[in-house]
Amino acid sequence: MKHVLFAASLLFALPLQAAENISAVGSTTVLPVISQAATVFHAAHPDVNILVSGGGSGVGVAAMIQGTAQLGMASRDISPEENVKLKGKIENIVIASDAVAVVVSKAVYLSGIHALSLAHIADIYRGKIRNWKELGGADSRILVIDKEASRGTRHVFAKAVLGSAHARAAGASIISGSNNEEQSIVSRSNHAIGMLSNAWLNDQVRGVDVIVDGKAIAPTIEHVRDGSYPIARSLHVLLPKNASKNTRDFVHFLLSHDGQAIVKKVGYLPVR
Amino acid sequence: MAWHHSLHPLKLFIGLGCFIAALSIFILLGFLIQSSLPFWQAFGITSLWGKEWYPYESLYGFLPAIVGTIWALIIAMLIAVPCGVSAAIVSSEILSPAWRNMARIGMEVLAGIPSVVYGLIGLWVLLPFLQHSLDLLTGHNLLASGIILSLMILPTIMVMSQDALQAVSAEQRESAMNLGLNENQCLYRVLLPQAWSGIRSGMLLALGRALGETMAVMLVVGSMDRLPQPFYNILEPAQTLTSRIGREMGEAAFGSLHFSALMGCGLILAIIAMALSLFAYQKQATS
Repeated sequence: MKHVLFAASLLFALPLQAAENISAVGSTTVLPVISQAATVFHAAHPDVNILVSGGGSGVGVAAMIQGTAQLGMASRDISPEENVKLKGKIENIVIASDAVAVVVSKAVYLSGIHALSLAHIADIYRGKIRNWKELGGADSRILVIDKEASRGTRHVFAKAVLGSAHARAAGASIISGSNNEEQSIVSRSNHAIGMLSNAWLNDQVRGVDVIVDGKAIAPTIEHVRDGSYPIARSLHVLLPKNASKNTRDFVHFLLSHDGQAIVKKVGYLPVR
Repeated sequence: MAWHHSLHPLKLFIGLGCFIAALSIFILLGFLIQSSLPFWQAFGITSLWGKEWYPYESLYGFLPAIVGTIWALIIAMLIAVPCGVSAAIVSSEILSPAWRNMARIGMEVLAGIPSVVYGLIGLWVLLPFLQHSLDLLTGHNLLASGIILSLMILPTIMVMSQDALQAVSAEQRESAMNLGLNENQCLYRVLLPQAWSGIRSGMLLALGRALGETMAVMLVVGSMDRLPQPFYNILEPAQTLTSRIGREMGEAAFGSLHFSALMGCGLILAIIAMALSLFAYQKQATS
């Protein structure tokens, strides 16, 4: 009996000892980079499993505060309140930058909306402009998509357009969550406006130029690089100071030549 | 009698199981009350009819989500109860036993499908349909969540009603026939009144599931924290208590007022569920 028990306990203990699970939680903008990098990293280190899940930057930071994940992902800067709660427990590492594009449905784009000024975008989100006709488009109501308050994209967008990260958007018609959800709402509508990282643009989901000082600036990586696009940001991973060696190695990998190649492939601007 | 007095293992097992079941109710309620208490202390009961929910501005008004929850429930029940009970009557009284079993298996399969699948069906099939056929800005609204919920609770109502109808004894049916009642009279005067308590239990269980459903509702309701304008407008994006918890819980730091307020949403849901059950049993006692 004793031997059987011993053998059984070995059976359960062995796989636990052999493999290390690292869970990465947070921004769905950073997520594609981490998940592709995790696949490559796992091939080289079969004993390390990296489990990636979304939730938004706010969820990533909250997981770091509560110590419930080994790696955090954030598509915005950490707020002063969050910094107080983090008590210096983490290192904040920038792995890429991107543009928060102002996106519209294909039908809106084709009806002639190719560029908007920050003031116009703000008026749409504050509910002062409710019809595309007022901006030279077709006569249809605007489906204004706002995001959950926990989303990094929402913070960056609202700060640039409405003046503060948590500003109210009285004109909003609907709230979305992850980038995928936002993308699918925009692509299924003919009247929508929303906010998405530039890597999520496609034929159905078009990014409009943002007019700055009379010049229309497209949401492209080149304009993030030269600093001319007004709604740009850096993408972060949050590494706890007591992280394991494998977790640190993974972050090093993200910053290595191969890791930065993944950043570029996903559609963001590498940091080196 | 020996079973009654000795410490039989089976008796211990049953006692323990029963104790855990009873305890779980108190633990859950206790947890909800304890974790939402800081919120009630800070903002008081008036938040229940507050109209604005902006956690970052310390505004916690529950009314839009409560109204949304109630509308979604009403729509779901309005669709699912007539359909479920009719389906139960047909399968119990008209279909042959072989077909009856088929219908039942079908319903049990429906009941086993995870809720996120219903949500995705809603997202990809129902929303575009509503948007185009009703010419709406978006299909995300209370009607959509009510329809999805009705699909999800249909099996519960149908299976429980069918059981209740089948449980009416053959003697009762035969006596009714012997008295010369036709099929309609038999149904309305004998079968439905006899089966009513079972049907009602099914409705209550279904109501509970609809009340607590998060994932499917979250995907189709639009999550817009705003009162329907006017209050009967079910074609605009709205919010329910569950979808708010689902959307915001990840970010709310454990122990913060925001967290506490979300626990308050949970407590309200629990209280609504209990009130509905009590109401139903009160009705049963008086009728």
